[in-house]
Amino acid sequence: MIAQKNGSLGASRVLRQTTIAAIAALAVLAGVAPGSAQSQTIKIGVPVPLSGSSANAGTDIVNGAKLAAARINTAGGVLGKQIEIVPEDDACDAQTAVQAAQKLVDAGVVAVAGGYCSSAALPELTTFHRAGIPYVLDASTNPKLTEMGYDNVFRTIGRDDEQGPFAASFIKNSLHAKRAAVINDNTTYSKGLADNTVEALKKGGVDVVYDDAITPGQMDYSPTLTHVAALKPDVIYYTGYFSEAGLLVKEARQLGLKMTFMGGDATNDPTLMKTAGPAANDMIITTAPLAQFLSAAHGYVDDYTKAYGQGPGPYSVYEYDAVGVTAKAIADAKSATPAAITAALHKISNYPGATGTIGFNPKGDRSVAVYITIIVRDGNFAPYQKQDANGHWMAMK
Amino acid sequence: MSTFFQFVIEGLTIGSFYALVALGYTMVYGIIRLINFAHGDLFMVGAFIGWTGLTALAAAHVPLALALLITLVASMAVTGALGLAIERVAYQPLLRAPRLSILITALGVSLALENGVLLLYGAGFNTYPHVLSHTGLDVHGVQITFAQIGIIVASFALMLALYFFVHRTFVGTAMRALAIDQDAARLMGIDVERLIQLTFFLGSALAAVAGVMEGLYYTQINFFMGFVLGLRAFTAAVLGGIGNIPGAMAGGILIGLLEAFGAGYVSSRWTDVFVFGVLIGVLVIKPTGLFGERVVERM
Repeated sequence: MIAQKNGSLGASRVLRQTTIAAIAALAVLAGVAPGSAQSQTIKIGVPVPLSGSSANAGTDIVNGAKLAAARINTAGGVLGKQIEIVPEDDACDAQTAVQAAQKLVDAGVVAVAGGYCSSAALPELTTFHRAGIPYVLDASTNPKLTEMGYDNVFRTIGRDDEQGPFAASFIKNSLHAKRAAVINDNTTYSKGLADNTVEALKKGGVDVVYDDAITPGQMDYSPTLTHVAALKPDVIYYTGYFSEAGLLVKEARQLGLKMTFMGGDATNDPTLMKTAGPAANDMIITTAPLAQFLSAAHGYVDDYTKAYGQGPGPYSVYEYDAVGVTAKAIADAKSATPAAITAALHKISNYPGATGTIGFNPKGDRSVAVYITIIVRDGNFAPYQKQDANGHWMAMK
Repeated sequence: MSTFFQFVIEGLTIGSFYALVALGYTMVYGIIRLINFAHGDLFMVGAFIGWTGLTALAAAHVPLALALLITLVASMAVTGALGLAIERVAYQPLLRAPRLSILITALGVSLALENGVLLLYGAGFNTYPHVLSHTGLDVHGVQITFAQIGIIVASFALMLALYFFVHRTFVGTAMRALAIDQDAARLMGIDVERLIQLTFFLGSALAAVAGVMEGLYYTQINFFMGFVLGLRAFTAAVLGGIGNIPGAMAGGILIGLLEAFGAGYVSSRWTDVFVFGVLIGVLVIKPTGLFGERVVERM
């Protein structure tokens, strides 16, 4: 009985090994096949989360990249070749991200446009840096990404430490607030935004009466709000996420607090209004603009909605521009080698993107970052104010 | 001074939830000496069942008061039945096993409930319809909403009802007998299994009330909400003396007040430090808790 069992086990092991060998051979063949087609298309890699809780955002971004490629390809492509988008799942996880980046390098991409979670984009960036491939980030806002001293990194979106001064300018020059309370939730992003805002507020002469953290995940923040209310701020700026923001604004209004309530870009989520209900009305949020609020992106929103039957999500328009600006660099360089593309990207100064004019500073950050304020009206986000080139505040249409 | 009383009102509101959930911990511990770590998740399940019921009834245009009543009763019944089923499947076979086995099983049940709700309802936040009014009274600068009064009154009423049930009825007396000595209780003709099931049902139903109230008052629920609240309610039960019903009520209210005063006078970022500092302090200095003097007679 035992011998028989071993026998069958041995047979199945042989079978399994054969199968594995066959699969490996197929994989090698499959790997070779696109490689041989390398000369026909120009490949742009898109590493984003396509599984896990951020999968929706990743899919939106890939869709944005495909729309950009389709637009370029119908206009004749670049250097007489078609652009091919190569998506890869980084699962918003540092370890998976390294493998995803390596897969893209092996697939022969000449440039990369994508990224979502900063924690995944960072190890990807290192891999692409080693391979000498340019990486145009569309949604990763952590300052560190362009502070590594790498020359192959670019960004079509603003970075976290630019939002703080923007928010401070709004509080001082548009709201004309004298006293401000800044609340964060002690996460890296939230604390960073709060610190940058407080620093800019103090520099601007605004009295910061409260600068402290709450513990996220609780339900009742009334005691903190009662404490803050006693300090009589003209505005409360919360730099954490939407779920606590909804509770905070609701509880603030329940306590009868009338001051302006503001949130950072992580509060930009409809759950905010669902949680707070009518209490969310008139809350102002500083954020990178949604495509709907950018006049230059209206054509993109229409195309996206027609192609995919849903709205473009918050970041896909930045990916659309990231692919667009990469294609422009390839055309400028008259070459599809990674080094030539990197050099050409550094020279881009006024590419007319859907998110506005794009140029890069020496670090690779967008030279003029776009932030706007939006306001909650009747349970929906509506565009509120933006800064003109001179820093004056004006209403958005 | 008005700020002080504002913190008191807020602490009582927060503490009401802790107290209701702490009762479940304490009742189960009193009877079978199990710290039922899945209890916080039953609170969460209660909130989700309430959400399902209320959104369905709102869609069917059932009058609000009736919809609330049906939702509450349904959530209590379903969550209570779930608590019963958990006892049957996960705890009963282990009642005679070493304490550690059943404790680990409780952690497993907790994970199963959280991930079950995650699969059914998703990882996002679900929101209750906004049915409670935000109006209230302004008493010399202290804001009290009618919803807060409702929550505090309802939980005190439930706690009193439970207290009288355990101390003044025949079944309650049997439960207390069971808490003192299970074997002796069995010899006296008490149906031990039935009483353990009743305890689980009652504790789970109370958690469901807390869950529905939390959903109605704070509107935002998600699959993980039972974890933080469960741990704090457990701390409340230990503070009051685990196994002791008035202790759980007092412990819940005290933890709520501690949270409110801590966040109000110091900082909300220290809330966990205060709450779990109390847990450690009680365990070190007075493991029997505030009301846990009579070790012989629990509940």
